[in-house]
Amino acid sequence: MGSSVIVVENLTKYYGKARGVESIGFAVEPGEVFGFLGPNGAGKTTTIRILLDLVRPTSGTVSVFGTRVAKDSLGIRRRCGYLPGDFSPYGQFTADEFLRFASHLRKRDAPVAKSLLDRFGFSKPDLSRKIKHLSHGTRQKLGIVQAFFHEPELLILDEPTNGLDPLMQQEFYRLLGETKREGRTVFLSSHILPEVERVCDRVAIVRGGMLVALETLEALTRKRYRRLTLRLREPLERVELAGAELVRTDGVDYEFLVKGDPGAFLGDLARLPVEDFVFPEPDLEEVFMTYYRER
Amino acid sequence: MRQVSYPSLVFRTHRGFGIFSILVAGTLQFLVIKAITTIDTTSILPTFISQLPERFRMIINENLISQLTVEGGAAFGFNHPIMMVLLAINAVSIPARHVSGEIEDGTMEFLLAHPFGRTRLLLSLWGVTGLMNLLIVCGALLGSVTGMTVYHTMSGGVVVKLLEIGVNLWLLFLLVQSVALLASTYGTKGSRPAMWTAVVVLTFYVLHFSTPLWDALRVTTRFNMFTYYQPQKLMFGQGSFGQDILVLAVLTGICLFLALHQFNRRDIPG
Repeated sequence: MGSSVIVVENLTKYYGKARGVESIGFAVEPGEVFGFLGPNGAGKTTTIRILLDLVRPTSGTVSVFGTRVAKDSLGIRRRCGYLPGDFSPYGQFTADEFLRFASHLRKRDAPVAKSLLDRFGFSKPDLSRKIKHLSHGTRQKLGIVQAFFHEPELLILDEPTNGLDPLMQQEFYRLLGETKREGRTVFLSSHILPEVERVCDRVAIVRGGMLVALETLEALTRKRYRRLTLRLREPLERVELAGAELVRTDGVDYEFLVKGDPGAFLGDLARLPVEDFVFPEPDLEEVFMTYYRER
Repeated sequence: MRQVSYPSLVFRTHRGFGIFSILVAGTLQFLVIKAITTIDTTSILPTFISQLPERFRMIINENLISQLTVEGGAAFGFNHPIMMVLLAINAVSIPARHVSGEIEDGTMEFLLAHPFGRTRLLLSLWGVTGLMNLLIVCGALLGSVTGMTVYHTMSGGVVVKLLEIGVNLWLLFLLVQSVALLASTYGTKGSRPAMWTAVVVLTFYVLHFSTPLWDALRVTTRFNMFTYYQPQKLMFGQGSFGQDILVLAVLTGICLFLALHQFNRRDIPG
């Protein structure tokens, strides 16, 4: 834990009486892409804001690069790149002016900015247009460029592919892959589960301000929360399968949630008048939804 | 790649209205000097004033008739509502837009995620707003000096008095901008702190001019910021320049300190 890039311990934040997060704890290791998942209002953005010292915790501690955030937030922010969920920079400035401003805030020139701009398809007219006149996707690309251009050790990205077209999403994933290979760390909040499956090493799931899961992606999907859809030749009053929970019925259609070993219900299944069944591979979405339903 | 600093970004955002204000303030002062030197007001005003109620007559006699000179006119220009409104708009709108406005629209979150300290941000804003108002005051001074030069009424003594008035006026609006900054650090809605500050300043302004008409209001005099800005009195050597600027500077310092304290402890956004 001593070398962890981010250490969050027993973190609680209340906004008056409203709960932001409660007793959250996790660590992010160097060089990993850490996914932070949760529905709206789960406390993802609150946690990110606490990491950046924008919001002060009610209790608990947060350290980044081994330093308490409250102690040296400027030093920490110097080594971070951040893309907010709702990226709304100064609309009255051109993209070029904005990047020059970002360089000033970072107190360094941006040698990487040019190649990133080329990579994300920025043309000269794009750079000289006012930000308020750029499309949502182009603004998001500008946000990605400003988060990456100074080659930070830690990237904190809140819904980074929001508004990007599929081509640019692929480019972003390639950039993320390169960042990881360079040994830099990424803290990524996202709703897009295929994206998380594709890029993250570990995942934390928050719900109602609490941490409900913290595992590697492999371990999470190994839990095999799978959906089994059955169509019977005739409706039955009672359909039970070992190790599976009936979640929905509609005439002759039955939907089960299967936890653990699928072999357990095969015997029961054989005794039923099955016309058809679908039993897809487990995916993160199922795991994700299960956590939301369960707790 | 030439970098763009935060103060220059704020300055560029407001330079349009700033230039307009400088031009209006300078022109206003010039026209006041022109009116005083080219129109024979002493033959028109007494007839008009004699028709007013006794109380108003007394006030106008005190504040205007005795000062229908170039010096009095120049001082009057620095107390004109247009001048006050221009300075107040700058003093209130810049802090409100860049603090509570940017907290509301998310720009502040982006800004403070960079290695850019909250104290530095607030002091930069305060500095740019102060600079903008200083330029407006300088524009007004330039208008007065130009008027006096064109109409051959220039004297070294008046220029010194005008400089004192300019400093006093600038300090008054440093206080106003500090109040606006303080209100903005508590706010999360862009326009609300600006509105509240404008209400406070307007209330003081109205009280300042109502006090001579209503004795019950005299108790507010000491607590009114406009009490510490009396350009006509300064021009005629009846004011207390040192005491006035000291009071304004101390109040400005207190508001700025409280604004920094609040901004450094609050959540972004709230």
